[in-house]
Amino acid sequence: MKTENAFQIKQLNLHYGAKQALFDIAMDIPKNQVTALIGPSGCGKSTLLRSLNRMNDLIENCRVEGSVKYEDYDIYDQYYDVINLRTKVGMVFQKPNPFPMSIFDNIAYGPRCQGIKDKKVLNEIVRKALVNSALYDEVKDRLKEAATSLSGGQQQRLCIARAIAMSPDVILMDEPTSALDPIATAKIEELIQELKKDFTIVIVTHNMQQAARISDNTAFFLMGELVEYDNTDLIFSQPRKKQTEDYITGRFG
Amino acid sequence: MKYSKRKKIDIFYQGIITLIALIGLFLLIAIFGYVFKQGSGLLSWDLLTSDYYATTYDTYYIGDLGDTIYERPSNLDDSVYFSSKWGIGLTSALDNEGKPIILVAYIDSESPLNSLPDKNNEGEFVRITENQALGKVIFSNYTIILSSEGPENAANLFNQANGIIDMITTTSGKGIRGSILTTLYLIIMTLVIALPVGVFSAIYLHEFASKKSKIAEGLRRLVEMLTGVPSIIFGLMGAAVFIPFTSTITAADGGNLISGALTLAVIVLPVIITSTEEALKVIPDDFRQASLALGATKTQTTFKVVLKSAIPGILSAVLLSVGRIIGESAALIYAVGTAIKDKVILTERSTSLAVHIWSIMAGETPNFELASAISIIILMVVLILNLLVKVVAKKLSYQGGKKT
Repeated sequence: MKTENAFQIKQLNLHYGAKQALFDIAMDIPKNQVTALIGPSGCGKSTLLRSLNRMNDLIENCRVEGSVKYEDYDIYDQYYDVINLRTKVGMVFQKPNPFPMSIFDNIAYGPRCQGIKDKKVLNEIVRKALVNSALYDEVKDRLKEAATSLSGGQQQRLCIARAIAMSPDVILMDEPTSALDPIATAKIEELIQELKKDFTIVIVTHNMQQAARISDNTAFFLMGELVEYDNTDLIFSQPRKKQTEDYITGRFG
Repeated sequence: MKYSKRKKIDIFYQGIITLIALIGLFLLIAIFGYVFKQGSGLLSWDLLTSDYYATTYDTYYIGDLGDTIYERPSNLDDSVYFSSKWGIGLTSALDNEGKPIILVAYIDSESPLNSLPDKNNEGEFVRITENQALGKVIFSNYTIILSSEGPENAANLFNQANGIIDMITTTSGKGIRGSILTTLYLIIMTLVIALPVGVFSAIYLHEFASKKSKIAEGLRRLVEMLTGVPSIIFGLMGAAVFIPFTSTITAADGGNLISGALTLAVIVLPVIITSTEEALKVIPDDFRQASLALGATKTQTTFKVVLKSAIPGILSAVLLSVGRIIGESAALIYAVGTAIKDKVILTERSTSLAVHIWSIMAGETPNFELASAISIIILMVVLILNLLVKVVAKKLSYQGGKKT
């Protein structure tokens, strides 16, 4: 069976002012799989991730050429509805960033912004999101408490729950475990394995073991260019390029 | 061991600097101490709640007085003479011109004097209260109280009489209730006008305008410029623009509270814009990104997340503005006027507390004592506001620190 693609990226060039950050990127991101983006700092992997839900729009002087197709529509089309795109393509950031509100309000924030006001519907959405993010048992009795009272790992899972509550198709994760301890990291990785049944996941990570453990496909970036993109097992066992091999064996980066 | 010459000179300079600092500190304390000493005697609940202008009542009492004997309360001062028949305590005092007068020092709550028919207004009633001065009193036995004869004699005459044909009393006046009301009106109206404009301007500047925007740049320059303009110039602007404006749309004629509030709104606008923008700067970009990544629109992000976190900053802007409004005088002299009023009407002239001070000091007989008392009230309020700002600001920075 042919796997469908969530994203089709073609000839993507991205500039921050005079500096070019991405060079002619072309890759397909398959649905319901975990795709990891790896590479040394400043290689453009986060930039690529953020161009998938157009978060780069927030940066002034950012210019994008080429096309990123999501469900056969070019998301960089002038008339493409970015707000709508972001409800379908959720994002989890490097640092846990829950809003300074209660746990419940954090998760209900997205649906409320979509105009859902019915208390019963919201309750169900929040419960489901918490169950799916494996946080429900830990917080079910303290939904009214401030989200900042949770531990770092819990906060990050809350951020995942917040993204899930929008019932998106894709979840983008920008080094979601880099600020967490190993136990919290293990929980998030476990969660990602669960989530992949329902969502397409694109994850940026600095940790190569993590990429090897959780991803189906891995893309290696260097200096804004896509060096190698293949099945994760192949990348880590028989890399075709010398640079990839050097990086994953820890010779640089 | 001896100090070197350089060390000695150093000690000398250090001493001089410390001395100058101490002199400055002493001067500040001395000024506040002097004002406090002058005004504290007048500070009382009566000052805050009574009218500025004295009111004269003309009353009488005819009817059965009954046999009630009122008891002299034990805490009454020895200088008070008490009439047990009418339940009234009298004491002596001096009026503004130094003439002796008889003051009501105590009224029993059961006394018939609590409700006497008003001769000037048919059907109305007058209540004799403490601090009213007794004018002429003619009793039904044709004895007459003269204020020059003192409270002891007056109390005796009260005890002998069974009815009052005519009694004239005067309230003491010199209260600042009207000016307090004016100040409150100005605070509320100014904030209602300036707060939305200021907060929205700050949101535009920090959240919506692009960094290269010419409008934003111009607005920022303007705000900086306005902060340094002396308030008397705003007052002139109020007189030149807002008074004609309010006179056209309301029944106002000349200075009024609405034009005053508009003028003050212009004065506090820079404060509100600057403080709100500062508060917005503190909010981490993480929140905005998280909200936008959830498919929230820019306005939803601004009002549901950003503004909510900026509330402590906006609150401190409000407190600073209130302090500014209470302390403002020059601008209000033009925009609202200098006529002290007991009955505050939005479309008429009146004085805020600060202008009240100006008014009573500008006359032929400056009332320094009352001016000092009002100064103390203003100082206290401003001091409390400043402390509140500190508390609020502390809360703001604490929240900022908690974010990872």
